[in-house]
Amino acid sequence: MRWSKALWLFSFFFAFVGLKAQNYSLSGFVKDSTSGESIKGAVVKNLSDGASVTTNNYGFFSLTLPSGQQSVRISAGEYEGVTLVRNVQSDEQISIYLLPRADEIDEVRIRAKRNDNVRAVDISTQSITGKVIKKIPAFLGEADVIKSIQLLPGVTTVGEGATGFNVRGGGIDQNLVLMDDAPVFNSAHLFGFFSIFNPDAVKDVQLIKGGIPAKYGGRLSSVLDVITKDGNNRDYQVNGGVGTIFSRLTFEGPLVKNKASFLVSGRRSYIDVLAKPLLNEDLEGSQFYFYDFTAKFNYDNGKDKFFVSTYIGDDLFFAANAFGVKWGNSTLSARWNHIFNDKLFSNLTYYYSRYRYNLEFNIGDDLSFDWQSYINNHSLKTDFTYYLNSKNEIGFGGSSTYYIFEPGTATAVNNLGENTFGVPNKYAMENAIYLSDDWTPNNRFTIRAGIRGSQFLYLGKSNVYTFRDPFAEGQRRFVDSVWQAGDNEVIQQYLNLEPRFGFKYQWNRYTSIKGGYNRMVQNLHLISNTAASVPFDVWSPSTNNIKPELADQYTIGYFKNFSIGKQEFESSAEVYYKDMLNQVDYVDGANLLLNELLEGELINGIGRAYGLELYVKKATGDLTGWVSYTLSRSERKSPGISDNEWYPSRFDRLHNLYIVAQYRLNKKWDLAANFVFSSGTPTTFYTGQYSIQGYTIPDAGSNDRNNVRNPNYHRLDLSATYTKKKKGKWESNWVFSVYNAYNRRNPFSIYFENNYQNTGINQAIQFSVIGSIVPAISYNFKWN
Amino acid sequence: MELIMKFKSLIYLTAFVFLAFSQTACEDIVEVDVEQKQKKLVVDAFIDNQLQTQTIRLTESIPFFDLPGTEPPVTTATVVLADTSTGKIFPFIHDSMGYYRWNPNEMSGDTLTVGSSYALFIIENGDTVVGITKLYPTADRIDSLRTVPTKGNGPPFIDTGRYCEIFAYDLPGIGNHYWLKTFRNDTLLGDINDLNISQDMGNNSNGQDGDLFIYPVRFSQLNEFLRPYVDGEKVRVEIHSISREAYFWFQLIVNESNNGGLFATPPVNIMSNLFYLNQNPKRGIAGFFNVAAVNAAEITVVE
Repeated sequence: MRWSKALWLFSFFFAFVGLKAQNYSLSGFVKDSTSGESIKGAVVKNLSDGASVTTNNYGFFSLTLPSGQQSVRISAGEYEGVTLVRNVQSDEQISIYLLPRADEIDEVRIRAKRNDNVRAVDISTQSITGKVIKKIPAFLGEADVIKSIQLLPGVTTVGEGATGFNVRGGGIDQNLVLMDDAPVFNSAHLFGFFSIFNPDAVKDVQLIKGGIPAKYGGRLSSVLDVITKDGNNRDYQVNGGVGTIFSRLTFEGPLVKNKASFLVSGRRSYIDVLAKPLLNEDLEGSQFYFYDFTAKFNYDNGKDKFFVSTYIGDDLFFAANAFGVKWGNSTLSARWNHIFNDKLFSNLTYYYSRYRYNLEFNIGDDLSFDWQSYINNHSLKTDFTYYLNSKNEIGFGGSSTYYIFEPGTATAVNNLGENTFGVPNKYAMENAIYLSDDWTPNNRFTIRAGIRGSQFLYLGKSNVYTFRDPFAEGQRRFVDSVWQAGDNEVIQQYLNLEPRFGFKYQWNRYTSIKGGYNRMVQNLHLISNTAASVPFDVWSPSTNNIKPELADQYTIGYFKNFSIGKQEFESSAEVYYKDMLNQVDYVDGANLLLNELLEGELINGIGRAYGLELYVKKATGDLTGWVSYTLSRSERKSPGISDNEWYPSRFDRLHNLYIVAQYRLNKKWDLAANFVFSSGTPTTFYTGQYSIQGYTIPDAGSNDRNNVRNPNYHRLDLSATYTKKKKGKWESNWVFSVYNAYNRRNPFSIYFENNYQNTGINQAIQFSVIGSIVPAISYNFKWN
Repeated sequence: MELIMKFKSLIYLTAFVFLAFSQTACEDIVEVDVEQKQKKLVVDAFIDNQLQTQTIRLTESIPFFDLPGTEPPVTTATVVLADTSTGKIFPFIHDSMGYYRWNPNEMSGDTLTVGSSYALFIIENGDTVVGITKLYPTADRIDSLRTVPTKGNGPPFIDTGRYCEIFAYDLPGIGNHYWLKTFRNDTLLGDINDLNISQDMGNNSNGQDGDLFIYPVRFSQLNEFLRPYVDGEKVRVEIHSISREAYFWFQLIVNESNNGGLFATPPVNIMSNLFYLNQNPKRGIAGFFNVAAVNAAEITVVE
């Protein structure tokens, strides 16, 4: 069944080839005229026949034009559009520079309604630019990529301070988070209050929740593609800010004007510096900070573009030199864009990425405990775009990644000796190839069909365990046999075909219907059963005991743009259904840390998620913003859990309403607000208790997991930005913000403890991460 | 200059805001509505092969928000232990308050033997409960129990002073489990966080076997780190053998007792190794049945 579907898709591809007509192509890059930054998602359109293309992540396009006099319109979100008139007699390569639209401009003048959201074949896809992210009121006044994403339909979080985000009922490990093509394993600073992306260095963020194109793979639920700025190749520029919790500084400029540029950007928190005089003796010597550093270099000679970028970031918490946690990512990526000819664009990427964490206790001169863990991966990937003709845009490519998981070695020392214990390394290799075509037979209809083939190899050297069937379903499995696999010996191979499909039918300029289907495969699993993920949660590859996770998602949507008076709106309604196989679930009381027999603690479950997403956005005028509402369910079913019935996953939230609004009061003041409402997350409560051997043991009674709900979550944030008049090259603004404006104590979780001191009776404790109003001020500046 | 002033004032402001922020996480005591849908028969059957009175206690579970320790005793049951290897039967007779007792007798051969399998039968109110386990050998080689001078850095972690450490050997072969009970001046260190269990040489010993117990089993739970041992104190450490199921059962109750906050795991229903033989019993079942072999070391602390 699966294979026949794939064959059907293949036959599609070959039907398209051979449609080529006698034409010329206009190709090149679309760039920002002030900074030379390439512009992603710009639309290049032939005004006579309506054929159009969109620039790729590197700003490249290729449009096929018939010979003769042609008018081509180039437009992009925050830029003034331009129209080129060309007498087309041969292939031509050009660079088109667009002027950023000044904020002061009278919005009514912007006539050209772009309707990109309606026209594009992309479904369940949302882009946010760095500029918009900075306008959303944020916790402690710090604009944040992940927090902004959490205001989009279909995206939820289990609570404040929780790492990551959940998309359409998927786990946080089911999002492929890419920073300049390199995957990031943990995108959180300070557990999850902030993300590692410095908004000053971010150019564009795209979230794809459904109809995922074939070039992406490896995660089930979504792709978050974060593209950082290349660096201004015309003028030197400094951006920065001083905030309540950290400061940031970005410096960029040309190395060779119009050809080569650089960008360096850093942030560091300073809670520890500020808190130092306030710490009592016990906590003296505490370290408590995070930092991140991004550097990027690029060189462009017209036909070739080279990028080298690196990211280093860490979080450190060392309390009084007694115990500490440290975690961080480092990535290095090198990319080479090459234009073979007017129709063939390629990108070759090498990246190395490393995620590490370290946990240590040092509770006396003679007592210490030190645990180090790493995930390393090296990858080479290549992507080609072949602009066959005005009707077909073909993408193909492949990737190969080698993973080394070092779950960790812990060393415990006391004055009589040293004990080392730990879990041996795991090795794996993931290879993939893909082919896709965006076929536009006419101006109304577009089909996107693609296929991805993935191979996952679980490699030695490793102890390979087989486990006995459990005593009862849902119980721990014990080792049956073990053997030792040699270096690079293939222990287990998984091959998967992942068909992808999307279509758009355009009713008229303002209305379209779109659909998407994707199969996704995931071979890296975050092993965590806590309410919020912790930095030292273990990642495991698929093994002989852990099967690859699979998801099939179907989504269909209605897109419409409309106006009420002079006010213009974009809107969409989408429904989705997602089936998930081989979801990792846990035996009751699973022991997940530093456990070599971890696989015996896991249960193979299934999942399903479905929902409706409504979205209305106002992008122009003094008042801008959006309203998003999601009605959704996310459920799991695992043998031996909840009597083998469906139970709500821990990120199941039925209703989610997000309102984001920005209002431009005058040239000096901008006001912004957002409001969030989400149904409470499910949880399990104890109902009884008993005592054995003097220990009081809580009793959950029946076997139902997640049988009660935490109270609902809602919150209002406000901010006001005061922009000072530009003085020479110096621009600045002050941001005043209030997070949790009406002082709601939103529950993160409810847990239980005994009130030993007084009554001796158990009590329920509601834990709120933010239990008060959090005001903040930050100062931002730009020198250009 | 003006800019520096601006930064300075901002930093002062920031410090103020940080102070406000550091108070921001909070915990409130709330009323939650929980209904105990099912009462459970609770069997506390940790017995050993020592030649002293063996006790099994039967109670009934109570609602979560009732006072612990007020579990009603179950007094009308018939409790019988059987050695399934020899077929010998040892009746436990109700004494009071749900305590059922049996006295081993070496003369008549009424003793529990390492290597034998045991079944526990409880007949109560028309329902029959059974549990099966085996009496595993315990660590037979204890080199010493010693106090170790340790320099700590004071509250809240560890005070400088003498702490106990045991040098005992795990039995050869994978799959031995132990429960180390520490008595300070004859009082068990009974806090749930003092519960000290070991899988072979230590928790997560991952295949290390047959050698000295590793850290932290040999050390951490033998001590109260803000109360070092002083001259004249008596310390006794008993090593009880437990089944693998008992080991994981203990691990579960430790996990559940420390479960809360940001990184809480979902509460679980703690399993039991006892089950009903009949259909549709009147209550649920909870508790555990283990028969231990015991080895012990004892010292009196001298400076």
